[in-house]
Amino acid sequence: MKDIFLLAYRDIKERKARTGLTLLGIAVGIAAVIALMSVGYGFEQSVTGQLVEMADLIYVFPGKGFGSAHVELGSLDERDLKDVGGIGGVKEAAAGAMSMEEVEYRGEKTVVNILGTDPRDIGVIFGDMVKTEEGRDLRDNDHKTCLIGQGIANDYFDEEIRVNDRITIGGSKFRVVGVMEKQGGFNSDLDSTIYVTRRDAKGVLGNDDIAVIWARVRNIDEAEEIAAEIEERLDENHKLDDFTTAMTMGSAIEQLKTIFTLLQAVLVAIASISLIVASIGIMNTMLMSVMERTHEVGIMKAIGAKNGNVLSLFLLESGMVSMVGGVCGCVLGVFGANVISIGIRAAFGEEIAAIVRPEVLLGGILVAVIVGVLSGLYPARKASKMSPVEAVRYE
Amino acid sequence: MIRSEQLNKVYRMGKIEVPALRDVSLEIEEGEFLAIVGSSGSGKSTLLNMLGCLDKPTSGAVFLDGVNTASLSENELAGIRREKIGFIFQQFNLIHSLNALENVSLPLFFAGVSSDERLKRAAELLTKVGLRERMHHKPSELSGGQQQRVAIARALSNNPAIIIGDEPTGNVDSETGDAIMGILEGLNREGRTVIVVTHDLEIASHAPRVIRMKDGRLLEQ
Repeated sequence: MKDIFLLAYRDIKERKARTGLTLLGIAVGIAAVIALMSVGYGFEQSVTGQLVEMADLIYVFPGKGFGSAHVELGSLDERDLKDVGGIGGVKEAAAGAMSMEEVEYRGEKTVVNILGTDPRDIGVIFGDMVKTEEGRDLRDNDHKTCLIGQGIANDYFDEEIRVNDRITIGGSKFRVVGVMEKQGGFNSDLDSTIYVTRRDAKGVLGNDDIAVIWARVRNIDEAEEIAAEIEERLDENHKLDDFTTAMTMGSAIEQLKTIFTLLQAVLVAIASISLIVASIGIMNTMLMSVMERTHEVGIMKAIGAKNGNVLSLFLLESGMVSMVGGVCGCVLGVFGANVISIGIRAAFGEEIAAIVRPEVLLGGILVAVIVGVLSGLYPARKASKMSPVEAVRYE
Repeated sequence: MIRSEQLNKVYRMGKIEVPALRDVSLEIEEGEFLAIVGSSGSGKSTLLNMLGCLDKPTSGAVFLDGVNTASLSENELAGIRREKIGFIFQQFNLIHSLNALENVSLPLFFAGVSSDERLKRAAELLTKVGLRERMHHKPSELSGGQQQRVAIARALSNNPAIIIGDEPTGNVDSETGDAIMGILEGLNREGRTVIVVTHDLEIASHAPRVIRMKDGRLLEQ
C-alpha cells in the first residue's frame, strides 16, 4: 500500500504547477464552506447566547405582534399585570408602556422607541444583561429623567448625547441621567430605546396602557404551561379569544435555531457551487493526466498491471490531491472566518466570533476526499480500461 | 509450449477492414530462440502481440502452456504477462518519472512482492546487465543502450520463461545492438524461450530459427 502511495506521489510531483492549481481550487471551495459555517455558528451563538440568559422569560402582549400596544382589540392593564404575577410558577412580573415618540435634541428631531417601566422592574425585564455604563439608573421618585441606549447616545443625532444633557420627548423636556451599555446582536433594539418611569410615560403617551408584561418563571420547564395559563386568564379578563400572546423565550430560541439552520443550509449551498467548480477542475486535471500518460498506462499494463492497479493509482492521485486541498481549505477557511469576523466588527461594530467546530473541519476534509475520488473515478476508469497494445503505441 | 492455430486479426478503420494476420499457425518449443522477420506492415508485431498476450485475435487461438489465451479475461492476461512473459520494446518504454531501479522493480510491485525484496532483486538484475553504477539514474540520464539494458532487466524481474522483443535493437547503434542480442542469447542459454521481431536480417541471424512474414501470412518456417 505504501508503495502505491509513493508511486502516486511521484506522479503528482511531476506535475507541480497543475496539481497546485487543482489543489487551490478545492482549498478555496472547502474554505468557503468552512468560513461561512463558522461565521454562521458564531452569529447563531451571539444571538441565541443572549437569549439563553432570558430563557426563563415570558413576553405577554396583546394581539399577535410584539410591541403593538394600541391594537384595535385594546391594551393590557393593571389587572392583567396583577393576574400574571399571581399565576403559580411566576416568580415576578413587570409591565412596560411602549410607544414611538418624536425626540428632539439640539434642534434635531427623530422618532424613537420609548419604554416606560418602573425602575425596580428593569432588573426583572432584563436581568443582569442590561447595565448602566455612564451615570445612574432610574429611581422611583425621578421626574422627567431618562436612561438612553448606546445607539441613541451616539448614532441618532449628529451630536453625542451625554449624561445631564436635555432632550425633548413628545414635547416635554427630559434630563438624561444615564447611558446603557451597548447590547448589539438580538438585543440591538435595546440600544435604540429611551427608558423613562411609567409615570413619565403616562405623561408623554397620554394614557396608562400596558404594551407588554414580562414574567419570569421559577422553572423553565414549566414556561410553556404557564404561558398557556397566562393567555387563558388574560383572554378571560378581556372577554376575547386570542386576545393575548404569551411567548416563551424557549420557543423563540427554537424558532431562531430553525431559522439559523436554514440560513446555514443556504450559505453552504452557495459555497458548494465553488466545490462543484473545483470537482470539475479535478476531473479535468485527471483527464489530462490520463491522456498524457496513456503511453505510461500501456507500459504498466504490458508489464503486468491489472485494471485494478491502474484504477487505484489514478484514484489515489486524485484522492491525495483533494485531501491536501481539503486540509489547506480548512486552514484557509479558519483564517477566512476570522477575517470575516474582524470585518463585521469593523463595519458594523458587532462582536461575532467565528466558531470553528472540529466536526466541520473533519467534514470538510472528508467532503474534499469524496469529491476528489468521485471526480477522479471517470478518468481513472478510462485509464484502467485502455488496451495495452494501443496505449503502448500512443505517443 | 506456444502454439497458434488459424490466427486472424482484422483491424477496422471506419468501414474498411484491414486484415493484419491471416490464418497464422505456428508452434514454438520451450527454450527456443525464434526471430520473426518481415517488412513494415507484414503483421510481425501483431503476431508478437498475440503471442505475448497483449492483444486478442479476431479468430483462432493461442495456446500458452496448453491454455487458450484468447478465452481469458483482461486481468487473467495481465497475470500471464506478469508471471510468464518479459517484454523488450524498440522504444525501451521506461517510465520517465521513475529511476532505473524503480523501473525494474515495477513488475514486482504489480506482482505484490515486498519492497525490500523488490529492490534487492532489481539491484541484482541491473548489476547483471552492467548498470550497477547507474541504478539511481532516470531514463533521461541514460544512453539508448543503457535504457534498453534497463528494459531487459525489467523484463527479467519476474523471472519469466518467455522473453519477447519487438525490434529490441531498432533504436540503438549496431554495436549496442549486437551486445543486446548477446544478452538475449545468454538468456536463451539459461533455458528461456526468446522471440524477437526484427526487420534486420543480420540481427535475425543470431536466432537458430527464423520465420518470415508478408501481408499477414507466414511465408516459411
